[in-house]
Amino acid sequence: MSSGDLGLPKPEPLLRVSALSVDYNAAAGNVVHALRNLDLEIASGESIGVLGESGSGKSSLALALLRLLPKNARLVSGSIAYRGRNVAELSPADLRAMRGAEVALISQEPALALNPVLSLGQQLADVLRAHGKLTRLEVNARCTEILRQVGFEDPERILRAYPHELSGGQRQRVAIAQALICGPKLLIADEPLSALDAATQADILDLLQRLKRDLGLAMLFITHNAGALEALADNIIVMRDGEAVARGSMDKLQATTDDYVQGILFPEKSLATHTVSSIESGAALLEVRGLSKRFVQKRMLSRKEFVVQSLDGIDLSLSAGSTVAVLGRSGSGKSTLARCVAGFETPDAGEILLEGNPIATAEKNERGARPPVQMIFQDAATSLNPRFTARQIVAEPLEIARWKTDADRTARTLKLMEEVGLDPDWAARLAGEFSGGQRHRLALARALAAEPRLLVMDEALSGLDMPLQAQMVRLLIDLQSRHGLTYLYISHDLNFISLFAQEVVVMDAGQIVERTTPEKLGQSVHPATRELVEAAERLHAPGVEAAV
Amino acid sequence: MIRYLARRAAHGLLMLFGVSVLMFLLFQTAPGDFLSEIKVSTQISPETIATLRAQYGLDQPLPVRYWQWLKSSARGDFGYSFAYNTPASTLLLPRARNTLLLSIPALLISWLIAVPLGVLAAGWKSRWADRLFSGGTSTLLALPDVLIALLALLIALKTGIFPVGGMTSINAQDQNTWAYVRDLGWHMLLPVAAMVIGSLTMILRHVRASVSEVLESSYMRAAEGHGLPRFKLLFGYALPAAANPLISLFGLSVAMLLSVSLLIEVVMSWPGIGPLLLESILARDLFVVIGAVMLSTVFLIAGNLLGDVLLYAFDPRIRRQA
Repeated sequence: MSSGDLGLPKPEPLLRVSALSVDYNAAAGNVVHALRNLDLEIASGESIGVLGESGSGKSSLALALLRLLPKNARLVSGSIAYRGRNVAELSPADLRAMRGAEVALISQEPALALNPVLSLGQQLADVLRAHGKLTRLEVNARCTEILRQVGFEDPERILRAYPHELSGGQRQRVAIAQALICGPKLLIADEPLSALDAATQADILDLLQRLKRDLGLAMLFITHNAGALEALADNIIVMRDGEAVARGSMDKLQATTDDYVQGILFPEKSLATHTVSSIESGAALLEVRGLSKRFVQKRMLSRKEFVVQSLDGIDLSLSAGSTVAVLGRSGSGKSTLARCVAGFETPDAGEILLEGNPIATAEKNERGARPPVQMIFQDAATSLNPRFTARQIVAEPLEIARWKTDADRTARTLKLMEEVGLDPDWAARLAGEFSGGQRHRLALARALAAEPRLLVMDEALSGLDMPLQAQMVRLLIDLQSRHGLTYLYISHDLNFISLFAQEVVVMDAGQIVERTTPEKLGQSVHPATRELVEAAERLHAPGVEAAV
Repeated sequence: MIRYLARRAAHGLLMLFGVSVLMFLLFQTAPGDFLSEIKVSTQISPETIATLRAQYGLDQPLPVRYWQWLKSSARGDFGYSFAYNTPASTLLLPRARNTLLLSIPALLISWLIAVPLGVLAAGWKSRWADRLFSGGTSTLLALPDVLIALLALLIALKTGIFPVGGMTSINAQDQNTWAYVRDLGWHMLLPVAAMVIGSLTMILRHVRASVSEVLESSYMRAAEGHGLPRFKLLFGYALPAAANPLISLFGLSVAMLLSVSLLIEVVMSWPGIGPLLLESILARDLFVVIGAVMLSTVFLIAGNLLGDVLLYAFDPRIRRQA
């Protein structure tokens, strides 16, 4: 846009999207406008970041560019031109030739992007063969080369492997290799980081940066995490409800005053006024001593036992009204700890005391008693029955406990909804009709219904985009000060930790390897902690600046 | 793999044992035996009946009879037919061969048609093709197998091209091998066709359903986004990923086809296990019935075992576990 003033003929961009609108036909004849009048241009070698909340139409954009939209989607108006050719009018053969060879896609979840029953070698080779005749040797050489390029040191082993034999990060690397194997000019990356743990996210981000530089790729990087774009995107488009609400370089956007843009760039700002009150070590609410738990998997026809995950001698103490964050990468045993504390698992050894008394495990739990420990699950939004109304969901714990009368329960439900920031008028709506963030609030209201002393949150925020995470954290802080709640907060990243927790416990391989405070996290020398901190730095995670 | 199969085979043996015990118990509780009908006759004295009863061993207690049967099975006789006065195996084994002669081709043809057609149907995008497909399969599914067999007979009668029943022509034995095989094939055509029509639709619907489900998955969208050709997408990517439940269905379809076969054999007078089973149930020819049921169980177990082997070959995740 700026080079036009020089009077030079503007070169045709690689991709030009003009006034693109896409509708979805939703249930009951409703129409959802996923994209409205979107304009976008990408020049060769340029990388554009698309930033927006979930539901802002980012993914529809990625799919529309390759004509991969689902059947219920409709291109209402506008055009997509790749090198001057209208994508909507390409013949099936031309479209196929463009996909993968010219414009490649990395989809959202690496775990689901690869066919589970075909070897990775075959899946790589098939992409190559779909775009040209090559001999076996050539195919093999190219597959090995591309796997080395995405950072595998033993490509031969990967070629023979199947997706279930790799970790999430490795699978994402293979998916990237698959996208790049035909040397595309434009790479569309649709939330390529969101399903990975923080350390792996940082690795993949580094990889994409290196590939972009080495291969001169143009890139459309779609994300809800502004931190990831800082190093990668030349220009950023901020989307909301299918529209581009702001565009420009990161610096320019940071200078705008628009609330939505500020909220998505600096989700932690809305929390900045909050200071973590230090809790004088009072009476311990929760006391965990020598907790051990082993999961063994027996394989058919084999007497060998495989230890899948374990907890090994965990000691932990939470004082009333405090927040302790348990951090660690996936597989470190933190979820098992959460499940033991919440009474879903019976530990093999050790004890869990709540106010000095052993906690009841799930099977021993008496009917009618209101458990003092409540848990909010990873991906809380899917832990709600979509056919229940909001009232039914929130009142369910009360009904199980046979708490007072029906009218009392309804009154309390409405009050709880108000408290978590939901309009009580929505009580009759079905859970499926709420948005992702609202469902999170609903799950929180349900957990609070039984008036717990301790709330265990197992990666409860990690599925949310940054602005929503910030809102939830603010809500949690608010509820804590009002009701004197105690939080055990389990997470694989450091987002908002410094604004939220008094104490940080780092776990690795089933053991607690470090106990510290958010302020001192940055000075830690333990490798497991360093990994988390470095990942947060590389991703520019919000809310950790104070910590690192 | 070998150990896994050995274990499955051991399970199969255990199942055979269970089925045989159950059959003996069921016959014990059912009223009457082979001699009940003779009893009605006034010309045969109760003494004669008692002698016959002792001769057949029907006066022995159940465990003794079961033990006798086990010993006879170990010899390969599988008990004795009261009605035909021969070991049950000499009756059953040729009949079983004839039943397999129908079931195996019907099984293979059904699957060979159902898999490609089901995959293509899952890939169809137009709405009317979809409706035609579900309409057609629903209609076929609703048709009882007996009706299909009767319709086949009707065609044979009206056209006169096909044989109306039986396995071979009367003079078949005199001909050379090639003519014999041709005659047999001609006789097989209608029963096999009836069985294929009877079983095809269910398999077709399952293939289409599981492939459709896989087509919705994100790895299929990713593969499409990499520009793979449509044929490769459907048959190279979607089908292998959808194969798992279908292979289990393959094992089950062996049993299903056998039960269809029994019915069609009776209607189209094919000398398989079907007519023999019917006849011996009516006559309470104990060991022939038990033998026929045991044979069906063996086929079922074999079908499932075959399914297991195929699963092992197809799914890398199962291969890793076993």
